Amino acid sequence: MNKNKEQLLNKRYKAEQRFRLYGLSAIFMALLFLTIFIFKIFSTGYSAFQKTWLVVPVTFDAELMMLDQNPSKEDLQDADYYDIALKSMADLDPKANEDQENELKRMVSYFFEKEIKNELLNDPNLIGKTKEVYLTASDDLDQVFKGNYPRDLPEDQRRVSDYQLKIFDQLVANGKVESKFNISFFTNADSREAELAGIASSFMGSIFSILVCLMIAFPVAVLAAIYLEEFAPKNRFTDFIEVNINNLAAVPSIVFGLLGLGVLLAIFQLPRSTPLVGGITLSLMTLPTIIIAARASLKAVPPSIREAALAMGASRMQTTMHHTVPLSMPGTLSGTIIGLAQALGETAPLILIGMVAFVNTIPGSPMDPAASLPVQIYIWAESAERGFVEKVSACIMVLLGFLIIMNLFAQIIRHKFEKKWS
Amino acid sequence: MYSDTFGAVPIFAGTFFIAFIAMCVAIPIGLMSGIYLAEYASTKVRQYAKPLIEILAGIPTVVYGFFAALTVGPFLKELGTSMGLEVSAESALAAGGVMGIMIIPFISSLSDDVITSVPQSLRDGSYAMGATKSETIKRVIFPAALPGIVGSILLGVSRAIGETMIVVMASGLAANLTLNPLESTSTITAQIVVILIGDQAFGDPKTQAAFALGMSLFLVTLCLNIVALRVVKKYREKYE
Amino acid sequence: MIKIKAKDVDVFYGKKQALFNISLDIEENQVTALIGPSGCGKSTFLRCLNRMNDVIDICSVKGEILINDFNINDKSCDVVRLREKIGMVFQKPNPFPKTLYENVSYGPTIHGMAQSKQEMDEIVETSLKKAALWEEVKDRLHEPGTGLSGGQQQRLCIARAISVRPEVILMDEPCSALDPIATAQIEELIDELKKEHTIIIVTHSMAQAARVSQNTGFFHLGQLIEHGSTDKIFKNPDNKKTQDYITGRFG
Ligand SMILES: Nc1ncnc2c1ncn2[C@@H]1O[C@H](COP(=O)(O)OP(=O)(O)OP(=O)(O)O)[C@@H](O)[C@H]1O
Ligand SMILES: [Mg+2]
Repeated sequence: MNKNKEQLLNKRYKAEQRFRLYGLSAIFMALLFLTIFIFKIFSTGYSAFQKTWLVVPVTFDAELMMLDQNPSKEDLQDADYYDIALKSMADLDPKANEDQENELKRMVSYFFEKEIKNELLNDPNLIGKTKEVYLTASDDLDQVFKGNYPRDLPEDQRRVSDYQLKIFDQLVANGKVESKFNISFFTNADSREAELAGIASSFMGSIFSILVCLMIAFPVAVLAAIYLEEFAPKNRFTDFIEVNINNLAAVPSIVFGLLGLGVLLAIFQLPRSTPLVGGITLSLMTLPTIIIAARASLKAVPPSIREAALAMGASRMQTTMHHTVPLSMPGTLSGTIIGLAQALGETAPLILIGMVAFVNTIPGSPMDPAASLPVQIYIWAESAERGFVEKVSACIMVLLGFLIIMNLFAQIIRHKFEKKWS
Repeated sequence: MYSDTFGAVPIFAGTFFIAFIAMCVAIPIGLMSGIYLAEYASTKVRQYAKPLIEILAGIPTVVYGFFAALTVGPFLKELGTSMGLEVSAESALAAGGVMGIMIIPFISSLSDDVITSVPQSLRDGSYAMGATKSETIKRVIFPAALPGIVGSILLGVSRAIGETMIVVMASGLAANLTLNPLESTSTITAQIVVILIGDQAFGDPKTQAAFALGMSLFLVTLCLNIVALRVVKKYREKYE
Repeated sequence: MIKIKAKDVDVFYGKKQALFNISLDIEENQVTALIGPSGCGKSTFLRCLNRMNDVIDICSVKGEILINDFNINDKSCDVVRLREKIGMVFQKPNPFPKTLYENVSYGPTIHGMAQSKQEMDEIVETSLKKAALWEEVKDRLHEPGTGLSGGQQQRLCIARAISVRPEVILMDEPCSALDPIATAQIEELIDELKKEHTIIIVTHSMAQAARVSQNTGFFHLGQLIEHGSTDKIFKNPDNKKTQDYITGRFG
């Protein structure tokens, strides 16, 4: 009997340890996923902040550019740079045949002509002289230089030929390949060419969308919250609204996209693919989040404050506007920022209203077609080119950076400014 | 497309199937994390682990989609090949699994809240009977918290059903009636995106089909939410 | 016979000391009442006896508590077994959100006391009978325990506590949430239970202490001011503070 008891107790303690272990491993798994995730994004993305340049000697031959003596600024603008650009690439290997010259040309971005032009526009005295110019390497060579490209694949499965690799290795050996901080990733719009693609257009798209979203959602949500919390009678109708606000917060985001498509585009004929429509769509999604936060912080203002104001002879409107609402602002603001952060990361509704179109100009207003950061991630992720993989990760890093900053900001507002009512 | 062959059945089946896979990942991990955080973790561990896990809920879903498509899908394919299994690079398992990771914090946070709100007196009563911690959790706290936990799971399911980007990026876009997690299949949300991406006329029957799918998605998730919120609310009233 | 012997027990909640140097002997098969003003540490002391203070992170206990001459504060003491032997009834009835039957069979199940369903039925029945609840609930054993009245719930908790046949039962103000009739029932029950169990009861009611207990200890500000037979404490206490408290001049 006693021995039985001993055994049972042992079994119970073993079960206790097992259970504890399950719990610990669950936490561990969740954190492991997070770590793998962040590691993966950073390890593939950090290299996108570097860009590979080929340093190529360019001879600014006036004849080849079809320039007269003493050309004016306009002449320089209109000059033909293609020939000298081609020639300087071909000169990398004097023995190259025609095919090989073509391959040499493809070692740099198609933008190389413009890069050479800019060089001359900056310094017109270069005419007739030779200068080493920085040319953007093609995205494949960029990946080769960063060590992301499998060089041991058979040649016909590679987008870089053996010949290109040979010349490239020579350039590397001569110190003519350089890696520099990739400013153009932040200043360029999207492009079909990975080496030129940047996030400027989608970034502006995101900013415009979020601003539109803020300008619509914030006032509407705050007014709705004030009405519901301070003025609305408690009846079945307001109960119904209350329940539905909570339900609205859990509606899948794609449904809001359908709403935007069906109402804003089809009925109101607003311009497709624009941050204006995107922002309105996102504001529908953000509304419940802000309303819930605003109501919670209005509720947290103790009734004694309202009573004190009312006792001083303030009207209900004055009490609300002068006392209750200002006191509830920190909570409302931090809820708003969190809602905006959610909106900033939203993709599906924006795809439906057409913000997924290819945009290679930077939008100047919410009425111009644009993408947004998460949509840019989607577009690049769907692209087959190797060069885009690191761009996606880098874009994710930028997006996550913004989300972290916004959430920290919300935390700070909450902790610094929110009064503790005890 | 699908409408000529099977109607909407494969799409709905695929939606629930992927949601099921997601919940198979999210429920055990989320629930056990919630229990551990509420009952075992020291204040210090809790203080750090809880917000860290909640980061998973703040990551945009397009990022999960990229992760599923670029890392998890190929990894599973390779793993399957090494075991002699045929795994699609766009398998339901990859999409569902990653979706499950995304849902972990919803379940862990809510069940943590629910478990912490079980009154201490019940714990004391059980400990005083000589129960161990896990016995107390399994036999007293869990049944007491069950309605709230069920509510949190339903909210998780509604998330899984409405999730779009992970499926669009990591699972197939063709509807496929299958119960093999290694094959690819599609969901309501993915079909909506497939149909509506790019320009299309509003009178087009396909467009209308997409809106019909959207409507049914809305109704399904709405019902789930109403039930879930009601269950959680009932539970709160019981102990507050 | 002395069942429990507390020697120089100090209890701290974090840095704050809640009990100072308590030494107290508890007689077997008798009822010992602990009285004193609110916050003086009665519950704290009671919870020392089945190591329930372990549950509170910041709480630490020093000193020796011997039960059957075994120091329960020793490292080798197994709390699960200890608590099987020392039952506890709380101030607020806390039945589990399960059926009446499951409430009572909880202890015997986890401790593996019944080999068959029949045995378990028997344990449940005798425990409920001893707790004077059987007649009222025998037809609704499979309804939730939370559906009972407060007094019934408290008796259910008593049945739950005695289901594992503990040697000692600790009661922390078991009647504070009950009306006079339910209180009378429980007091009767306590009288009955002391034949088989050693009982320690915390109470705020002088009359209750006088009615049910054979021994009384008076706590004040974390100190055990005086203890002895209930008769003596109530009729002729040594200490002025005890006198004042019992006659209702403070506390
Ligand atoms: N969990 C805890 N954390 C910190 N301090 C505590 C805790 N529990 C009790 N205390 C403190 O210990 C002291 C004794 O408390 P205890 O609950 O033992 O008093 P009591 O005599 O049972 O009072 P009452 O008659 O009101 O139940 C009090 O000063 C109290 O503030
Ligand atoms: Mg007490």
